[in-house]
Amino acid sequence: MSNLSSRSRVPLVLVGSPAQRDVNDAELAKSLIAGEAWAETETWRRFAPMVLTMAERALGSKPEADDLAQEVFARLFRRAHTLQDPNCLRSFVYSFAVRALKSQLRHRQLRAWLSFTSPDTLVDLRAITLDVESGDLLKKFYGILDRLSPRDRLVFMLRRVESMTMEEIACTMDISVSTAKRSMARASSRLSRWVDSDPALAALVEEAR
Amino acid sequence: MTAPDPAESRRLTTLVDMLQRAVNPPSEAELGLGLGALRARNARAARSKSWVRNLRPRGRPLLSAALVAALLVSSLLFLGLAYLRSRSSLPERLVAVDKIEGGELLDGGYLSETGDAGIQLSFNEGSSFALEHGARGRLRVVSAEGARLALEHGTVACRITESHEHRWSVEAGPFVVSVRGTDFEVDWDPTQEKLAVSLRRGRVAVSGPIVGDELVLKPGQNLTVSLPRRESVISEGRAGREPDARGATTPPQSRAVSGTDEQPLPAATASGEPQLKSGTSARASASAATENARAWREAIATGQWDRILADAERAGVATILATLTSEDLLALADAARYRRRGEVARAALLEQRRRFPSSPRSLDALFLLGRVEEQQGGKRLAIERYDQYLARAPGGTYAAEALGRRMILTQSVEGAASARRVAGGYLQRFPDGSYAKAARTLQQQPQAE
Repeated sequence: MSNLSSRSRVPLVLVGSPAQRDVNDAELAKSLIAGEAWAETETWRRFAPMVLTMAERALGSKPEADDLAQEVFARLFRRAHTLQDPNCLRSFVYSFAVRALKSQLRHRQLRAWLSFTSPDTLVDLRAITLDVESGDLLKKFYGILDRLSPRDRLVFMLRRVESMTMEEIACTMDISVSTAKRSMARASSRLSRWVDSDPALAALVEEAR
Repeated sequence: MTAPDPAESRRLTTLVDMLQRAVNPPSEAELGLGLGALRARNARAARSKSWVRNLRPRGRPLLSAALVAALLVSSLLFLGLAYLRSRSSLPERLVAVDKIEGGELLDGGYLSETGDAGIQLSFNEGSSFALEHGARGRLRVVSAEGARLALEHGTVACRITESHEHRWSVEAGPFVVSVRGTDFEVDWDPTQEKLAVSLRRGRVAVSGPIVGDELVLKPGQNLTVSLPRRESVISEGRAGREPDARGATTPPQSRAVSGTDEQPLPAATASGEPQLKSGTSARASASAATENARAWREAIATGQWDRILADAERAGVATILATLTSEDLLALADAARYRRRGEVARAALLEQRRRFPSSPRSLDALFLLGRVEEQQGGKRLAIERYDQYLARAPGGTYAAEALGRRMILTQSVEGAASARRVAGGYLQRFPDGSYAKAARTLQQQPQAE
């Protein structure tokens, strides 16, 4: 040790990536576009919880949500160079996720149409941490959500469950604000009507309140 | 949370709140696994990309041609499927129930036997289901495409008229026997979780645990599947009994009860056990209760729990319990559970165990008794119920939930050291289950307490 220190007075420095948790979204986006490996890891760590949670809530299935997140990030890393404004990384990720969700819901509808499987059997609530009664209730609710069109369902979920503004929804889904508002109103009134007209569901909800 | 739309009903708001709370963000471990999978996927994609790049100089026209061919094939497939589907929606002759002998069809498709010769169900296009004496089942669907029978226990002999337009199936526990035109017999013993299928003519496909997606049987073959032993046996030889001989065979219910470790549970195992009336006065009002049974079942279906409970109490809980079917007992138990009426729920579930020991609902009742005890604060009793359920239905509908609840209760009653052992067992069986996160947290806790 003493020999080493006598040969060189230069302090030893660990060379590596920036303190990854400290970089802001814009810096992260620039590194992602530049193809730096740490940026992919950090993008996953920063945004995957949001995508996974949103997908699981929207689809009602953890395995499907996991698959969807993989698809979203694989596509995102391939298409990172198309991001125009590095400050908009978060909405960029959202738009990928929402597009993938919409496509997944359409595929589900098609699968249900082509096969003889009823849509409610596609819902898998095993991973959702609920008791049996609440699990039954949510399964019924997902059955009702399946009756909405993919767009109306997504607008409703993004607004009510993910707490996005109508402007954010419109921007993320690439539709006009007025279309988003119409979709929301339609989804809300239909769901309310369907929930209220299902006596068993209504009774269970009253009990859960 | 965003404020609800003015058009949104209060109930919808409650459901949205519940949905928001139901999903937890992924753990660090899950994120790590996801990242690993993503990297592996990207590496695979990079390898295939380089393979495609190698093909490019001379392969581009080849790839374009392959793409066009693939598109053509998929379009043809799609059209074919659409055609098949449109054909399936226009069957040659619509299926409908023609005649029921020896029983009647109650609400919800339940087949109730009126005599002791079994039930013969005939359809307009010549098919028939013959339920042996003592067998219980439910006609779940009769549609243009065919019919689906859910066999709760016992034996059913089926003769299905051959048709390419109709699809028929018999569900037995976790198994589904699908047919188009054939003559076969299905026996389901829910207590022993044992399925037997005998095929006399035609072709059937059995799907479910152990047998996989589609096990096809040939004429003369007999299939036996035992869930507890995890074995399936196909034997050749004379196929099962002729349906005409059904009256002469041993009633399945008695066969199912004997030779099993199922014993009715003691009527009073817990403090707070309901004080039920019994005897002559209860029997006297039983007929009145039966008269109201139909209206009462409708109330159950529409979720009028309070009305059901009020009716049950007016007629006397013991009276109602003695007259209800297995299905209605479970519904009453549900109504009582949702209204936190533990004593009524417990009584209905115990009655289910006592009167229908070989019904699959009897096993469900064991698990639900655990839920009731938990609601009532009886943690040790709840653990006992979950243990009983897990011992008798290790692969049952509620096995994951029962083991998960047992783990939580064990932690509360006996401490983390005991709960860790349960957590290990849980993770081994249900690594992606609802309680996996809690089990992992338990296992990661320091050992010394």
